[in-house]
Amino acid sequence: MADPSDNPTLRAVLGAGFRLIGRYISWHPVAFGLAVLGAAMFASAIIGAALFVGSIADNVLRPIIEEGEPAGNRAVIAGLVLLGIASWKASGIVVRRTAAGYLQYRTQADVRQKLVDKQLTLTLAWYGQRSVGDLLAVSDADAQGATFVLAPLPYGTAAAALLVGTIVMVFFVDVTLGAIVLVSLLVVLGVNFWGSWQMFQAFERIQARRGDVSDTAHESFDGALTVKALGREDYETARLAKTSEALRDELITVGILRGNLRAIVDTLPPLTSVIVLVVGALRFDAGAVSPGDLVAIAYLLSQLMFPIRLVGFVLWEIAASVAAWRRVRGVLDSTEVQQHGDLAGSTDSSGANISTDAVTFSYQPGEQILSDIDLAIAPGTTIAVVGPTGSGKSTLVMLLARLWDPVSGAITLDARDLRDFAPSELPTEVSFVGQEAFLFDDSVSGNIGLGLISDGPAIQEAADLAAATEFIDLLPNGFETKVGERGASLSGGQRQRIALARALARRPRLLILDDATSAVDPSVESRIQAALSSANMPATVILVAYRPSSIRMADSIVYVEDGRIVAHATHDELMQSQPGYAHLLLAYERDAEGRAGSMSGTQA
Amino acid sequence: MSTDSRATWGVLREAFAVAPALRKGLGLTLFLTAMGTALRIVVPFAVQQILDDQLFGGGPIDTSAVLLKGGVAGVAMVLSALAARAATIRLIRTSATGLSDLRVMTFAHLQGLSALHTESERRGALVARITSDPETIARFMEWGGPGLIVGSGQIVLAVAAMLWFDWRLTLVVLVGVGIYAVALMWFQNILRRAHDKVRVLVGKSLTVVGESISGLPVIRAFGVEAQTSERVRQALDAQFEAEYRTGRLAAFLFSSAEVFAGAINGLVVVVGVVLGVTGSLSAGTLVAFLFLINLFVEPIQMLVEVVDQAQSAGSGLRRILDVLDTPSDVPEVDANEAVPLPRDMLDVSFDSVRFRYPDGETDVLTDVSVLIGKGENIAIVGETGSGKTTFAKLVTRLMDVSDGSVRLGGVPVQAVRFDDLRSHVAYVPQEGFLFDTTVEANVRYGDLSATTEEIEAAFEELGLTGWVNSLSDGLATRVGERGSRLSAGERQLVALTRAWIAQPSLLVLDEATSAVDPVLDVQLRQAMERITRSRTSLTIAHRLSTAEAADRVLVFAHGVLVEDGDHTTLLEREGVYASMHRDWTHGTTR
Repeated sequence: MADPSDNPTLRAVLGAGFRLIGRYISWHPVAFGLAVLGAAMFASAIIGAALFVGSIADNVLRPIIEEGEPAGNRAVIAGLVLLGIASWKASGIVVRRTAAGYLQYRTQADVRQKLVDKQLTLTLAWYGQRSVGDLLAVSDADAQGATFVLAPLPYGTAAAALLVGTIVMVFFVDVTLGAIVLVSLLVVLGVNFWGSWQMFQAFERIQARRGDVSDTAHESFDGALTVKALGREDYETARLAKTSEALRDELITVGILRGNLRAIVDTLPPLTSVIVLVVGALRFDAGAVSPGDLVAIAYLLSQLMFPIRLVGFVLWEIAASVAAWRRVRGVLDSTEVQQHGDLAGSTDSSGANISTDAVTFSYQPGEQILSDIDLAIAPGTTIAVVGPTGSGKSTLVMLLARLWDPVSGAITLDARDLRDFAPSELPTEVSFVGQEAFLFDDSVSGNIGLGLISDGPAIQEAADLAAATEFIDLLPNGFETKVGERGASLSGGQRQRIALARALARRPRLLILDDATSAVDPSVESRIQAALSSANMPATVILVAYRPSSIRMADSIVYVEDGRIVAHATHDELMQSQPGYAHLLLAYERDAEGRAGSMSGTQA
Repeated sequence: MSTDSRATWGVLREAFAVAPALRKGLGLTLFLTAMGTALRIVVPFAVQQILDDQLFGGGPIDTSAVLLKGGVAGVAMVLSALAARAATIRLIRTSATGLSDLRVMTFAHLQGLSALHTESERRGALVARITSDPETIARFMEWGGPGLIVGSGQIVLAVAAMLWFDWRLTLVVLVGVGIYAVALMWFQNILRRAHDKVRVLVGKSLTVVGESISGLPVIRAFGVEAQTSERVRQALDAQFEAEYRTGRLAAFLFSSAEVFAGAINGLVVVVGVVLGVTGSLSAGTLVAFLFLINLFVEPIQMLVEVVDQAQSAGSGLRRILDVLDTPSDVPEVDANEAVPLPRDMLDVSFDSVRFRYPDGETDVLTDVSVLIGKGENIAIVGETGSGKTTFAKLVTRLMDVSDGSVRLGGVPVQAVRFDDLRSHVAYVPQEGFLFDTTVEANVRYGDLSATTEEIEAAFEELGLTGWVNSLSDGLATRVGERGSRLSAGERQLVALTRAWIAQPSLLVLDEATSAVDPVLDVQLRQAMERITRSRTSLTIAHRLSTAEAADRVLVFAHGVLVEDGDHTTLLEREGVYASMHRDWTHGTTR
């Protein structure tokens, strides 16, 4: 997913990172404020504990143990104060983690919701240019990745405060010791910062290699039958070994970097403790510091290991979040929004008239998928669109349902331009059913009603018309049976019948069927056709069909070749006047016979 | 838990045996890790010595003694760093190499299992054996494993040091930390259950969000954008609620652990002072103790997390080993028992063949005996589920018979080496699977030594040159992921040419041109008929015309070979074939 061509600089990443953090904070400022407050409590508890341990050394341990002063209740008070500091620290943790958790999880849900809502407004032209897999990755992994920076952020703020606090405190005690601690911490932070940046870049390379391994395995397993049939198992294994070894080498390179980094980052703070103690002992000799001061400093330094590592984490998360956010923004900032007018759908139930005026269409500039499409379809008629593969039939009917907009020309439904309808209004009059029946992970009736129609009899009636009731009744819970993700528990033909019922339940004025029953058994299909023509359905019907029986059911036929309408006439007329049509239909006829033979068992 | 960890170790031993690279040099790595940890313990000692002997001593500071002790501690730290560095690098090298070997080995083994192509629903799980399982193991080997060693080492050393300083205070710490550790484990369990619940909701919202994207054309066509957005909002809110609730729980649990750690510190100070007053404990020792508690508590927190990591790594490894333990269900014959296939055209004989899936309850094929002569062109027809495809897969030994025997050119298929078999027998499945590369490279997959000219010639033979030329870059056109830039029919054309280029003496086509335009299909079949005169061919027919043109038609019904003869004979017989034929005519010309 990561685009290897762009190699952002550290500066650019940090800039973008802080802007991103600022944006998130502006969404939930209170939660962020609370999280930082909790982190500050936490940091103050650590510094407080160190100072107090130092003070215990000076005021409790040395006087009582070494100099024999009466103990009194000083020890017990010291113990209670330590417990009190721990409770303060614990409260800080509760406040920080709760608020930070809210911030991170809420922001992640917000980003996902924004992504979905945005995509619901974009044109299908935009959608068609992207792979669905990539879009899914944006709303899943990238939405999560883009908010990763929020997890360590509050603690990171506290860690920074802790580091600054430590240096200030040491300087306050003694300038020489302060200078030592300052230099040591600067070195360790600098090394960690630089190293983390290197590691992040290496990590991106590792992810790319991991992707290679996974892609190769997926591809090879998906094509397992082909691989086996051609005896290419060894070839495939060699192919995987190559990607696996590239990953291995990259991991080892990073391992060396990590080994070096850890050696420095984990060793410098305790080493500094020792140096502070040695130098401190000499300064004590000069009367500059007390033993308690040294204990406090050494104790504090021993607590800094994790905060120092965290600085590296934060940088890492910033870089990862910026990379993910860039992909999220690619969607959020898209300007290809579907434009709408404010026309409401008609409540009329009669069949609609649809006509096109000089329509042209292309998916990409330079090509021409449809040209000079002039069509007028009378209300209540049934039209078949016929033509060779790749002639533009599907594209034409998708334009009629406004799934795409023409490049030039206009399409009108009862003299109203399709683009003038308000959002969600056109579908109240026009229903489109494609070849691939997409079902949601919901019940059968939920899939037919789609949250708009919950009227049981209406759903039942639509299912009857689509010849779907016969198998729905056999499902474990009838209409309330969950169909599984993408309708996985149903056959292709069953999915298509539900998709058809979904369209019929709307009682559309214009029904468009784009090879919508391709997987339905021919005998069932003819029952559907019979039901449709006998039912009281005033709708205008446009269908893209391959089966001669479907084609013959139409009142007239639009014959398409190379993106142009060659003729619009009845079947008999076309058989006479269009040799291309006749040739095609004969081939289809033979084909239909063959399909009937191999598919007759599918629905049995 | 002890049985779990014992099982984990057993799995590890097994893995070492399978992939020795995982074990290579592990002894030295462990030693270096132990050294790196042991040397760290010097710091609290130096603190105690400098404090007690010099600072709290009241006398003048002995500079050379301070420098010596500090110097020793410093050198120990540097040595510790070097040892830790060497250990980290060695460990990552071992783990990366060993896991890469294991991954390749697993992949190679999976290639031999027919589940890969017969049970497509399990494919995702099998890919995980190659991708996510090794990652889980790597995470444990590179982070959890060393953490486990360093952590337990640190605990042992800290306890030893504490005992050396004072056994009574050590007892206080041990009891306190013992309770703390038990509490942590208990918390971890509570959290694990909460996380399991979250995972379910995450999966649910992932589905809903995913549908809003993959179903966008349908959502647009039916104008249900608002309903979809609301559905997504509900799923995301449910996920958020569960995550937030778990987050709050974790915050509460971890902070109470923190209070407990503070209580231990406080208790040590109180008990320490009491002991100090009686004169049996020095102030420096007490301070060193406070350092040691830190050294002790920190790894405990980590170990609790590592236990989880170890368990998932253990089960990941278990799953991989299970794959490696599964014997290949269509095994290769030993080289010295192999019989070469005859060089000329092949005949095929089935003798009382029965096939049933290992976990199936009924036969897919029952008692099939048939002889297909050299050079015959056979069409196979039957309803879906009649056993046609199984028949084809048995001929090509993509599966093995349950009973009976299959012979090619008189040789039992089980006695033929796979490379020999595959170079003589080509099977073209319906799916037309293509790899994400060029048309040319996809065809070359059928014969790795084929030149561009030979590939062009193969397309020419099949009458497809015109189609190739119509592609944007001809042979160099990239077909996209799984051939997605081509239509289903075009993918089948490439797949067919790919089998064709290998010049097999037996060609098995399983509805291999079902998605091809009917006009082109006729043309393709005529081209093949012209050339397959010199080959034996089996075609599972999706179009009636194929059966009409074949030398012989085999008709399957419910796993039984019910009819066998040419088109005219079978029509006259008035049996299954004839009635199927009648059905077509009725179904299509009303």
